[in-house]
Amino acid sequence: MLRLGIAVCAVVALALGQGFTFTIGNPVASQDFQAKSAAFVFRTEGCADPAKSQIGGTAEGVVKGARRSISLKVVATSRPGVYAVYQNWPGEGDWVVNLKGTCANASAGAVVPIGPKGFVRESAKFFPRAATDAEIETSLKAIAQGGSK
Amino acid sequence: MTMFTRHVSRQLGALLDGELAEQEARRVETHVAQCASCRGEREQVQLGMEILRRLPPVEAPDAIWVGIEAALEEHRSRRVWAIRWWRLAFAASLILALAGGTYWSVRRGAGQWIETDSVSSITLKVGQIGSVEIAPNTRLRVVTARPGEHRLALARGEIRAKISAPPRLFFVDTASGTAVDLGCEYTLNTDEDGLGLLRVTKGWVSFQWKGLESLVPAGAMCRTQPHIGPGIPCFEDAPESLKKALETNSLDTILAEARVRDTLTLWHLLSRVAVEDRARVYDRIASLTPVPTGVTREQALKLDPETLRRWKDELAWTW
Repeated sequence: MLRLGIAVCAVVALALGQGFTFTIGNPVASQDFQAKSAAFVFRTEGCADPAKSQIGGTAEGVVKGARRSISLKVVATSRPGVYAVYQNWPGEGDWVVNLKGTCANASAGAVVPIGPKGFVRESAKFFPRAATDAEIETSLKAIAQGGSK
Repeated sequence: MTMFTRHVSRQLGALLDGELAEQEARRVETHVAQCASCRGEREQVQLGMEILRRLPPVEAPDAIWVGIEAALEEHRSRRVWAIRWWRLAFAASLILALAGGTYWSVRRGAGQWIETDSVSSITLKVGQIGSVEIAPNTRLRVVTARPGEHRLALARGEIRAKISAPPRLFFVDTASGTAVDLGCEYTLNTDEDGLGLLRVTKGWVSFQWKGLESLVPAGAMCRTQPHIGPGIPCFEDAPESLKKALETNSLDTILAEARVRDTLTLWHLLSRVAVEDRARVYDRIASLTPVPTGVTREQALKLDPETLRRWKDELAWTW
């Protein structure tokens, strides 16, 4: 009986985790004028209580051959579950934004390449967990090779 | 050829502005070529103009503006102000010594016209909410200048607005409609016939005319026409074939070439195409991105306002 209970809990937890994701977009999607200068905005989906979600991330980049990591500036907008990412990384070099979040027992992650004209939606990668270092490095290499611009 | 015995210092500014008659300009040029003193003075004026162009804009104290205004008074026309760079260069040289390398920005009250010539541009402060860069050959009027509303009327030329304020505080009227700021940076260009082009670089702008509205987000542009109002917005990186099809009203091509992101264009088209074509536009949007819950085909084809609003809010995540 105990094993059955654990199995049921595991299935429920897994089911909850599969629903938690990020969607990224142009600042206009936030409908919040204060986000107009954001690099991009994103929303969480599949989180029963967005107010209790934990959201953060880093900007990961390579500048003149040197690897850099900067804590991300993420600001909640006036709409629940919608956040704005403001550029606080240098304009030079190759950069990706590494987003990560949790909601209850669920996690989500995304790696969003940044091109000369802003975020590159088509090359963004989404995960049911925080992105691994290898996945971040893969995205950075793709930018360097011109694959995400 | 007549040889000047007097120096031509007083004609140098007009020469550099291209304001001398052809014959007079040739005489002045000839003298400058043969007079080291005047040649040196011309170089100084040119240097002052170049420095001024490269300086970052910072608001100048009101007291300085009073002095500049007095110097310009003799050339001010009845309703139109033409700002001369060379005069400002001399006045600004005093400012540089005091303020460490800045150039001025101006304030204008309601009802006043501003006009720039072919080489001049100025920055107009919009209360406490932003600024408007006025390009050469531009004519505009300050309609309203109060905390709850700042409104300009652009007769011709180009402006670049940078506004950091809650939406619907800054408006620009043109012959083909009104640009309503929703928190943004944009460039608005209009010619003598009222044909215009709006390009948004940050935030988004609503362009309105007699109940017709186009929402233009960052990265998108929208043409405007007098008596017709705002056109259909499209992204700057949209396929050229799609942009051209918008100009020629070729719906088949627009639908065929539209990407997911171009649902911005398609959503606006939905309410502007003929009734018999609405279903095609709806179906194309639905094929590009899932229709959200609460949006039905029936209500969308009826152009139900709440349905269209809800659909736009969701589509915006693909723009």
